[in-house]
Amino acid sequence: MSILSEDPLEPFYFEHEEQEICGKLVTPITDGFQEDYPTVVDRFFTRYYYFKGEVPYQVLYHSNRICLICLAPDHPALNQGISSVNFDIGNVDRSQNVVKGKGKKGGMILQAESTLALLTTESGETYKVPSCIRGKLVEVNTSLVEEPKLLEQLPEGAGYFAILLPKIENCDAIKASLLTQEQYEERLKIKKEVLPETETSDDPQIVKMELAT
Amino acid sequence: MKNQDLVEFLRTSGVCEVCQLRYLKARGTEYRDVKETLQKLDVKLNGNVENKEGNEDQPAKKARLGVCTTCLGLFSRDFQMELLEGILASDFAKYDCQKIVLAICLPMSLQLRQLAMWFALQRKFGASVDSSNPPDVPIKEAVKLILHPIICEKLAKEYDANGLMINIDLTHKLEDEEVEKLVKLNKEAFPAKAAYQKRIEISRGLLEKQYQPSKVRAETFEKYFQIPGSTVEEPLKLTSIDLQGPLVCVAGKYRKLSRELSHTPWILNGQRLMEDSIEEIIIRHVGPHFTEKLDKITFMSSGREDVDVRCLGKGRPFVLEIPNAIRSCLSKDQAFKMEQDVNESGKVSILHLQVVARDELTHIKTGEEQKKKFYRALCALKEPVSVEILEKLQISVGFDIQQKTPIRVLHRRPLHTRPRTIYSVKAKVQRGNPKALVIDIVTQAGTYIKELVHGEFGRTAPSLSSIIGKPIDIQALDVVGIDLNWPPEVDNAIHTE
Repeated sequence: MSILSEDPLEPFYFEHEEQEICGKLVTPITDGFQEDYPTVVDRFFTRYYYFKGEVPYQVLYHSNRICLICLAPDHPALNQGISSVNFDIGNVDRSQNVVKGKGKKGGMILQAESTLALLTTESGETYKVPSCIRGKLVEVNTSLVEEPKLLEQLPEGAGYFAILLPKIENCDAIKASLLTQEQYEERLKIKKEVLPETETSDDPQIVKMELAT
Repeated sequence: MKNQDLVEFLRTSGVCEVCQLRYLKARGTEYRDVKETLQKLDVKLNGNVENKEGNEDQPAKKARLGVCTTCLGLFSRDFQMELLEGILASDFAKYDCQKIVLAICLPMSLQLRQLAMWFALQRKFGASVDSSNPPDVPIKEAVKLILHPIICEKLAKEYDANGLMINIDLTHKLEDEEVEKLVKLNKEAFPAKAAYQKRIEISRGLLEKQYQPSKVRAETFEKYFQIPGSTVEEPLKLTSIDLQGPLVCVAGKYRKLSRELSHTPWILNGQRLMEDSIEEIIIRHVGPHFTEKLDKITFMSSGREDVDVRCLGKGRPFVLEIPNAIRSCLSKDQAFKMEQDVNESGKVSILHLQVVARDELTHIKTGEEQKKKFYRALCALKEPVSVEILEKLQISVGFDIQQKTPIRVLHRRPLHTRPRTIYSVKAKVQRGNPKALVIDIVTQAGTYIKELVHGEFGRTAPSLSSIIGKPIDIQALDVVGIDLNWPPEVDNAIHTE
């Protein structure tokens, strides 16, 4: 008894109240608890990757085809320290994007290689964050502009640059053009092995062909 | 213009006694006993007045039996009998309704005949007959005053606008012919309109609005129609009787036990994703009592929960809207049986099942954003909870959040950032499992709870995750209350046995 009363959580323990519905006792909500419950990303998204030259980006593909464009975990900027994010890419400011209605009318149409944002690092590098897929720009994560440093520590997905909506009919082709998690890991492995050769290459197409050979 | 003079003129023009009363502007119950009312209005009855056709009863009776030149027999006893027989011969018996409403579609000939009599009265009595206000109680109104009470009495039903609708279609032999004449008359009477309108639409509405002595000259009218209306041999003909049952609304509260049951049929690309739904289970057991056409029933509720969310506590108010119902009553015994049948599904339970008035649907349909919803969420931390975290999740003062349309529905809904109020948060921890929190949350209706918990990549802010500064995920959700005290609680079990 004395041990229990010293438990600081004692005032906070959950007590299930009994209720009968359909002639059955309602099971406590805690019954369904799973230790190894998958994360939000694991539950609803498939991870894909896109390389702009040697720089990897991540596409979180929702089962309803909405795409979140993020930095891949191995993006070099994450190690260099991020100093700024800017959606004003010179000729156009992506943060001015406005969509209306169910059809997201008015959203900018982006190609995979279209620049979505500019990212600068503390080591002075600038990365043009690509759109990674062809689709309509739905939303831009402007909180990154205010606090770019967060990118380094945010949980997976929370550092998304933008939300894109590809056309249904393009989805298969888009997925085929991206790297799956396996392919991505494979490529990183090869890259580490053959680092000197591929470092100069800036064209993802060439890299892919090298992979195939 | 004396009543006596008016009645005598009408009588000689072949107008029946009921219509005579119409021209005397009789009201409501005055039509019940025609002779008594005529006497009250100082009108001598036919038999007592000097009869030009002789003193014998025979010819006078014959005159009365003829078809009235203004109502074409609409108010005759014969027609009432025919109408009653027609109604009884229809599917009328199939409907178990205490209330009825009559909708009678009258031929245009009738309107023309009222106008003819109007002209005739003006000629006879001059300026005492107004040119824009009809001298009679209009036929449509008279039908309500005369026919409705009689039919209701004979059928032993109550008259009610929401009752079983009896649609009655009437024609007259002369109608086609007269409409043709009317088209010609219309061109002459309203040439300006006729000039730019390629096709003139002759309608009852047009007749009602445009055809009165202040707008059409008697001389023009007389080129096509007799003043007063010609005598006819045939009365109105009953062409069809259609029955339209009332719209019955059945309300109750439902609870949902299953985490694998959608609200409404879930169909994606023509394929069913879930075998059953709340809507279908309830309609399957409640619907057949009211209609054979279950697919015409509309299911509505005060909000809805996701497939994987249970709805416990007192339940969620719902309504079934049942059109063309054959029954508008539901006894407690019947309601209780339905409740039991639904409970048998083991997935959904319904309570307080009752028929409600249609205007009560506003409870469900309006003010949705003002309603409070009570939830219980099973949440998971990545590390054992601390007292500090638990204390951060005891919030009794309401606060506002900004919630973007969740990604899971963004493909089919517009992108908006919605302000929502969170009224309270109260977190508990599972004994022996310090990563598992049970959080009771009270929110404004329309808040997405799952996103409120984990913050959805920062798209809902603040979120429970941002409040504690740590990742927190949601594993299960129950609705435990909806603050709508409607429909009233009824215990249908009480009257059983």
